[in-house]
Amino acid sequence: MNIQTTTPKQQVDAEVLIVGTGFSGLGLAVILEREGNRDYLMLERGQDVGGTWRDNHYPGAGCDVFSHLYSYSFRPNPNWSRTYSKQPEILKYLQDTAEDEGIYPKVRFGTTVTRAEWIEAEDLWQVETTTGTYRARALVSATGHLSDLAMPDIEGLDSFTGKMMHSSQWDHDYDYTGKRVGIIGTGASSIQIAPEIAPDVSHLTVFQRTAPYIVPRRDAPYSEAQKGMFARFPEMLQDFRKELFWGNESRFPQRLQIPAFLAQIEEMSRGHLEDQVADPALREKLTPPYSVGCKRILISNDYYPAIQRENVTLETTGIDRIDETGVVLTDGTHVALDMLILATGFEATELPIAEVIHGKTGRLSDQWQDGGQAYACTTVHGYPNFFMMLGPNTGLGAGSMIYMVETQIEYIRGALQYLFEGDKVIEPDREAQAAYVKSIHDRAERTVWIAGGCQSWYLHPRSGKLTAIWPDYMSQFRKENGTFATKGYMVRDATVPA
Amino acid sequence: MAFTSDVVDGEITHDGLTIRTYDSAPHRRGEDTIVLLHGTSGSAQSTYWALFPMLADGRRVVAFDFVDTDGATADTYADQARAVIAALCDGPVHLTGCSFGAVIAAHLAGTTPEIVKSLTLIAGWIKTDIHQHLRYDVWFKLHEEKSAAMPGFMVMTAFSHAFLTMRLPGEVDALVAKIGDGSDRYAKMVFNRTVDITDAVANITAPTLVIGCTQDQMVPIYHSKLLFGAIENARFAEVPSGHAVAHERPSHLLMLIRDFIDEPERDAPGTVHAPIHA
Ligand SMILES: Cc1cc2nc3c(=O)[nH]c(=O)nc-3n(C[C@H](O)[C@H](O)[C@H](O)COP(=O)(O)OP(=O)(O)OC[C@H]3O[C@@H](n4cnc5c(N)ncnc54)[C@H](O)[C@@H]3O)c2cc1C
Repeated sequence: MNIQTTTPKQQVDAEVLIVGTGFSGLGLAVILEREGNRDYLMLERGQDVGGTWRDNHYPGAGCDVFSHLYSYSFRPNPNWSRTYSKQPEILKYLQDTAEDEGIYPKVRFGTTVTRAEWIEAEDLWQVETTTGTYRARALVSATGHLSDLAMPDIEGLDSFTGKMMHSSQWDHDYDYTGKRVGIIGTGASSIQIAPEIAPDVSHLTVFQRTAPYIVPRRDAPYSEAQKGMFARFPEMLQDFRKELFWGNESRFPQRLQIPAFLAQIEEMSRGHLEDQVADPALREKLTPPYSVGCKRILISNDYYPAIQRENVTLETTGIDRIDETGVVLTDGTHVALDMLILATGFEATELPIAEVIHGKTGRLSDQWQDGGQAYACTTVHGYPNFFMMLGPNTGLGAGSMIYMVETQIEYIRGALQYLFEGDKVIEPDREAQAAYVKSIHDRAERTVWIAGGCQSWYLHPRSGKLTAIWPDYMSQFRKENGTFATKGYMVRDATVPA
Repeated sequence: MAFTSDVVDGEITHDGLTIRTYDSAPHRRGEDTIVLLHGTSGSAQSTYWALFPMLADGRRVVAFDFVDTDGATADTYADQARAVIAALCDGPVHLTGCSFGAVIAAHLAGTTPEIVKSLTLIAGWIKTDIHQHLRYDVWFKLHEEKSAAMPGFMVMTAFSHAFLTMRLPGEVDALVAKIGDGSDRYAKMVFNRTVDITDAVANITAPTLVIGCTQDQMVPIYHSKLLFGAIENARFAEVPSGHAVAHERPSHLLMLIRDFIDEPERDAPGTVHAPIHA
């Protein structure tokens, strides 16, 4: 055996640590696993893979993007049961992926990352977790943009003595049958939950602050013939996927507020409301007060009908506070409840993982006081060999997040190959990052999210900047951020050979 | 409806005709300009309602409505385009044509190469063939008979199976209701029967992008492949759509055109684009 006396090999647990096993982390792992060149480990605070789809199992939970598009292009599934699959089927898809691709043995479950620090002297990331310390040359954060829930800031929230749950922490042991139930929020989760539980509860009150735009849901089961065709002609499935992709891509001009595109979507949502709601007063309440597309456009065929059930009330009077037994409205009315559902979304603008990541220039969340910033939407100056999936400016108004995820997978795969084949340390140049981020914010100016005049979770609360959304076509994201190149990076040799 | 709030509508006179023009950014006149030649359906608006504003997000775009005249030829239509270019543009332009507009654009590029910086031909053709004649015969018959079947026939032949089967029944009905009885395209249909721009196409030297549509039932993709075969300095891209590609996949066209115009000679002549992966 060749004993090295001068520079002892530093102990690392893996070349790469990936934090998170949702669509992002798992997808990256599959590609690295198939490639077979990288030594990686995954850290996951939950007890299984799936992320979003492990946590969001509320009644009616499902995706809002066609399943054939909302899945990996490199793991097509000819057997999706319907246009928009429900949570159990999506979770199963991710679990099967992890199983078939041999990912499970690489994951340390029940392991929450509490601090990750770049050790410059050793050129490695040291990651503290609830189950111990891990060291690696490169760190990938795949912790999700919608994985940490947001609680509403309402006085007395904690005083409620009935059953209270956030949509992403559904307690299936609680039986809501015959109960008086309230739901706060009218976003994507709420409009899936309300129609599902309405028939069983004694009364449902939907507390609405701002009405969403809703368009028809084109949802149907796939026939056995279609599934068989997709299985036997994989290219038919890929063609279908492309059809869906370009359909979404052609919705982006709505966000540029191009009149012909706006007219189409406005007509579609108005037509849907008029088809489903006859009462003019209720229509009025359900008509959004902002430009279409400024907040997420929702798709549902059963929400408006649910709202019109005998046992459902759409409450548009504001909430003043919550007390032991229910909700007190700003007009003083008390709504007595047995159960309160908080469908109030997630921390999308200030990603909690940034609190625990420490690079050369300190804590990432301190760098990101005015909102997240990253070069190529993936790497950060001051944070060598660090990659972030679904970080700043990667969200979409219309489209599948998997397209963004796959774009980043290819970028990170290329970067890791470069790092490990040449023993390099890389970080984006400060100026290159600033210029890139500026180009994003310049583009954002012409979009509805900035120009449309509404507050949304897409905007950073302090700076007002659009940090959650990619303000251009998805194809443009892939063109700019889909292939790693050293341009814009400071590159040096690793001082300690890996 | 205006393409965008900034578009300036105008008029030029040419050979005693008044031609309506649309300019996304007159103040950027000195810059590279994309000039759009519309299809058989009659107006810049009807072909480019989507693509014009999408391209205008970043670049100067000029379009106009062709005026039909008795006995019009490829050259008389091309003359209208030349007049618009002379009136509104300073240097050579990025010329883009779709369907009938692609025929005129190809003719123009082959006969006046000096005003063309790049050429994009979407669902165009060189010479009308017997398959097209069969469809024209049906079309003219329906037209003569003022047949109620005309709108449905036009929608069925214009759009792809994939596109139509993704719509709700009411949306397909709306497409049929909107397409009209065809009288707006009669004059160009007469012209379309007679197309033969073989000689002009042989003289095209501008960097060219030929875009053919996989499921095109009106101008089968064979014709785009012929154009690609005929034009030495051409690249080829295929879009899985019907002839109405500008309605079905405007964003796909946008990506192809933006990319091409950014650097027309980037891909070597003869390059066939790989399909875009979603
Ligand atoms: C209800 C709902 C419906 C949605 N529907 C759609 C849709 O239809 N189409 C679409 O495109 N997008 C949809 N989204 C967005 C969705 O979040 C993304 O599509 C995608 O699932 C994100 O995957 P991810 O792997 O990046 O993050 P996640 O799925 O959130 O996974 C992140 C993982 O990281 C783990 N983690 C986080 N912090 C730590 C830590 N400190 N230590 C260890 N582990 C950690 C989490 O436990 C989790 O497993 C939906 C989101 C929600 C909430």
